[in-house]
Amino acid sequence: MSSAAELAALLRAVAAGDRRSFVDLYRRTSAKLYGICLRLLRSEADAQDMLQDVYLTVWRKAGQFDEAKAGAVTWLGVLARNKAIDRLRRRSLATDDLADALDIEDDAPSATEIVEMRETAKRLSHCIEELEPRAQSMIRAAFLDGSTYSDLAEEEGVPLGTMKSWIRRALLRLRGCLDR
Amino acid sequence: MTDDRALDEELDWLAADYAIGLSDAAERVRAEALIGSNPAFRAAVMRWSARLAPLLDEVDEVEPPPDLWATIAAGLGKLPGTHGNVVSLTRRLRLWRGIAAGSSALAASLALFVAISPRTIAPPVASHIGAAPLVATIGDKQTNLVASWDPNGRQLILVVAAAMPADPRHSHELWVIPSGGKPHSLGTMSPGPRTRMNIQQSLATLMRDGATIAVSVERPGGSPTGVPTGPVVASGVLQSA
Repeated sequence: MSSAAELAALLRAVAAGDRRSFVDLYRRTSAKLYGICLRLLRSEADAQDMLQDVYLTVWRKAGQFDEAKAGAVTWLGVLARNKAIDRLRRRSLATDDLADALDIEDDAPSATEIVEMRETAKRLSHCIEELEPRAQSMIRAAFLDGSTYSDLAEEEGVPLGTMKSWIRRALLRLRGCLDR
Repeated sequence: MTDDRALDEELDWLAADYAIGLSDAAERVRAEALIGSNPAFRAAVMRWSARLAPLLDEVDEVEPPPDLWATIAAGLGKLPGTHGNVVSLTRRLRLWRGIAAGSSALAASLALFVAISPRTIAPPVASHIGAAPLVATIGDKQTNLVASWDPNGRQLILVVAAAMPADPRHSHELWVIPSGGKPHSLGTMSPGPRTRMNIQQSLATLMRDGATIAVSVERPGGSPTGVPTGPVVASGVLQSA
């Protein structure tokens, strides 16, 4: 299992253009990032396409990784997730696939300058467990499975407004706990 | 420590929803615009993202297919440095192959790409069948255009990768010039970063390997003569993927 420090060192090397480190990084992290993409996109073809996209972005933007601000796994994971969510949402718009593929917005900072706080897994784990089980599962469904408010409202059979207030109440509690 | 209250409540929720993935398409567009223009909003998005990021630990690892790396390595190999336009081409190539794969007609299975480079800088892209298309010149301050031709839908899509200066006194007109032949107008480009054109059948047959796509500067509405009357500012040669 790669340590955060090992991955951070690899990312620094990748930022300097070191291809061997890039291969190494891929070996160590691709299963995780593929898992994230697959879970969100639910299509092997799309997830594979996305994974290539993700790693080419990592190659180009490794220089933006800042160890002081985020763990390497977090940085990579959020990068992959953001791109996958982006693609997931574009599926539902009536846009042209080719035009989308050109993706000139790819350089948007939100794609890689993603975290400025080091959150520990333990803290989130503790705080999320303070929520009711339903709220927990909805937050996971949104963050990990790509569900929107509409999706969740439909699944639960409640109006959109109700779902929004459930989730928002839960998020406020979560934030209150995390920011303590 | 947190300054989420620096934003008003509505924006704060927009940020949270965006970061967590709950927003619908319209809200995402709005949030993305704000990320670009509002630093407090952007910071709020990043904080929400950071709060939930550890959830990704729970996602199961899945080994990707072993041949996937080869495609990534190939994508790397085509990068002359790290320019975004070339990566976009590589990505588009893959998607395009996916679309073309469904068709059995020979013409439809040709994926034609144009890499248009500013004429003032370099000669047009050399075309050789089978090689990956590349943008011939990549200058930071230049306008780079990338075009995709969809033979199935007979659609030409152009994306301007950098800011095209607005010029109300002129239009940019597109031409297809068959190898050794005369220019045929494809129409004028839309303002803004994307132009999508439906190309009629008679012109679609001209979109083939070796034909040149060119952009000229014309009076508003395009050239009245049927051939370029203004300077040709960019051109490139169609190459199959």
